Amino acid sequence: MSRFKDLQKNLFGGTTSNARQFGMIATLVGIVLIFQIWTNGLTLRSDNLIALFNQNSYILILAIGMLMVIVAGHIDLSVGSVAAFTGILVAKSMAEWDLPWPAAIVFGLVIGAAIGAWQGFWVAYIGVPAFIVTLAGMLLFRGGNQYIGNANTIPVPEGFRKIGSGFLPEVGPSTGYNNLTLLLGLAACLAVIWRELQSRKTRREMDADPAPMWISILRMAVMVGVIVFASLRFASGRVGTSFPISGIILVALVLAYSFYTRNTAGGRHIYAVGGNSRAAELSGVKLKRVNFFVMMNMSILAALAGMIFVARSAASGPQDGNGWELDAIAAVFIGGAAVSGGIGTISGSIVGGLVMAVLNNGLQLQGVGTDKVQIIKGLVLLLAVALDVYNKRQGRFSIIGSLTRGLRRDTPSGAPPSSSDAGREPARTTVSG
Amino acid sequence: MRNFLAKTVAIGAIATLALTGCGSGRDGDSDSGSAGSAKGFAADSLIGVALPSKTSENWVLAGDLFTNGLKEAGFKSDVQYAGASTTVADQQAQITAMVTKGAKVIVIGATDAAQLSTQVAAAHAAGAKVIAYDRLITGTPDLDYYVAFDNFKVGQLQGQALLDGMKAKKPNGPYNIELFSGSPDDNNAGVFFNGAMSVLKPEIDKGNVVVASKQTDVKQTAIQGWKAEGAQARMDQLLTSTYGGNKALDGVLSPNDTLARAIITSIKGAGKPIPVVTGQDSEVESVKSIMAGEQYMTINKDTRNLVKQTIAMIQALQKGDKPEINDTKSYNNGSKVVDTYLLPPVAVTKANAAEAYANDPKLGPLTK
Repeated sequence: MSRFKDLQKNLFGGTTSNARQFGMIATLVGIVLIFQIWTNGLTLRSDNLIALFNQNSYILILAIGMLMVIVAGHIDLSVGSVAAFTGILVAKSMAEWDLPWPAAIVFGLVIGAAIGAWQGFWVAYIGVPAFIVTLAGMLLFRGGNQYIGNANTIPVPEGFRKIGSGFLPEVGPSTGYNNLTLLLGLAACLAVIWRELQSRKTRREMDADPAPMWISILRMAVMVGVIVFASLRFASGRVGTSFPISGIILVALVLAYSFYTRNTAGGRHIYAVGGNSRAAELSGVKLKRVNFFVMMNMSILAALAGMIFVARSAASGPQDGNGWELDAIAAVFIGGAAVSGGIGTISGSIVGGLVMAVLNNGLQLQGVGTDKVQIIKGLVLLLAVALDVYNKRQGRFSIIGSLTRGLRRDTPSGAPPSSSDAGREPARTTVSG
Repeated sequence: MRNFLAKTVAIGAIATLALTGCGSGRDGDSDSGSAGSAKGFAADSLIGVALPSKTSENWVLAGDLFTNGLKEAGFKSDVQYAGASTTVADQQAQITAMVTKGAKVIVIGATDAAQLSTQVAAAHAAGAKVIAYDRLITGTPDLDYYVAFDNFKVGQLQGQALLDGMKAKKPNGPYNIELFSGSPDDNNAGVFFNGAMSVLKPEIDKGNVVVASKQTDVKQTAIQGWKAEGAQARMDQLLTSTYGGNKALDGVLSPNDTLARAIITSIKGAGKPIPVVTGQDSEVESVKSIMAGEQYMTINKDTRNLVKQTIAMIQALQKGDKPEINDTKSYNNGSKVVDTYLLPPVAVTKANAAEAYANDPKLGPLTK
């Protein structure tokens, strides 16, 4: 038992607060395996994995920004509208003003930054709750999308579509795989191994106990195994396909933002603000600047997500972005973020988003209608967060253990009612008071 | 020493996994589709049908007809509707899932005509045939067939019925009319409108018919999402701005029944006499309205026939034959001229309703 705990702790680099994340990864693996069996192996087939990333990368990119917003104690309801607004402007800039597509992407990011600055200003410097500011933004930018686009669908040029539906080129000798995807996988393996060895070295230098050797090896083997399996799958799709470009953008963003939120002062300030904003401010955190940054950052990512969706759809349409905010928020909460702020990780949100994505994809492969899919997703969201809340109140991960503990606690409080009036007294006073 | 051990194990792990993984190269699924489609495909293959969200009776009926019809024809079917709010993304994911499952033919009733080209290309690359059902998919060279009612004809019939209806009420012009058109993201909306205008425009130029509000541009007349409340609001505004006092409104060109009823509601609310209002789709409420003498006409595009024709095309493809088409010129989707089968629509007024719906179990009894 202690050995298993040791393993869990060391393998996933965590303490008790990571138990939930471990649970989510286990859930994701479980769901993937269930669907893999149920769909007769379609779920993990290379074309389906590629489609899964293509379909969900924009939601996962939103989830990165949303995590930071929620950790800081806010919410952003406007992301779908911001994405749609940016999408139509970018499509128009290419169709009517002949902007070359790389310039159009920059243009889109600038629009996102401008919108973010607008929303951040109201949240951070005027103090309007983010819920209200972004509810207003949702209406404002949805209206802006319809106004600018005349509710038309505007196609985008071939080059631009690459960021949403493009693949890595086929280069090098014919190996039966996409070579660049294999190289990416190899690089990821080397990075994992290097990081593991580096952390062992650091711990030794600091005279701390490095984890036992076998755990390091096991951890490396698991990660390398997953990466090798994934890169072989992604590399063996139809000729001309590979790990999708939108997926590469997503992975780069996840790595960058994970580093930022975990290892830099600016990132830690977000958690401090979400945990206790007064205390953070008194400790010297620039509250307004942090709030401004998270709101602005969210809109920039929303603009990027919008452009990726437009690129994938080959056109910007009036329905773009409908309901995206809800998908992104759901991913963050399923991934273990706290509703009150201060808790949550980027990787957790990505796992949460992937749980929803695999669920969606698997049910669609089974031909389950969207009505039922929505019901199931709603229940999954509710149960995931309920489990989180319940565990937090019990302070322990084991459900059975906490159940019995709850019973034991009930008995002493239930024992006194020999004088039943005395038991009811406090209740009455609270009602009248 | 320890480092060395770790490295060896790690490299060993990569090597083993890489070698075991090599068995499943990309050769397997790359050529299965294209080779098979030239000579038809198995008679019990999977056929995917992706329809828009369940916002009109027609799509629900079409889904049921496809499920039953494909089953009767011996195919396995996967009939999917897009969700209510995230329509485009849902449909994209559904089509991709159908491709993954190895569907041989994918029938698509598009939610947004221009946002599916990536998925249609993927289906084509996997060897599936793609049929656009009722709504043309634009901007893709990979669309194989299009099957629909002749929508330009629908517009012409609406325009003609509007003129006939007004003439029957009031022998001589000029007549005051207002124009409505459908959702701008639906490729058909413009076709209906242009068809109707091809009949109305000569009369407007002659001065015999007057659009009193002067709103004749399709951008002004469009109702986003075919939403009834949008049409009602626009009609309310037109009545206030243009038809104050005793100015008569003789006719309204409405692209479909839902909008027609909303327009009539608005006019009734303003206390004006109901003008000649056109429609389309033969919805139950509108057929009742026609029999009650309120809405003037609708178009009967029998979904049964359209689904029957689509399944006939799928059966031809299954045998490896070329499906029957009757139009190779009119439907350019921006990338190619799509081979099309057009079914003729029928205009229905109170006069011929009983005859037109004689075979319809739901609408027939209403006309008696």
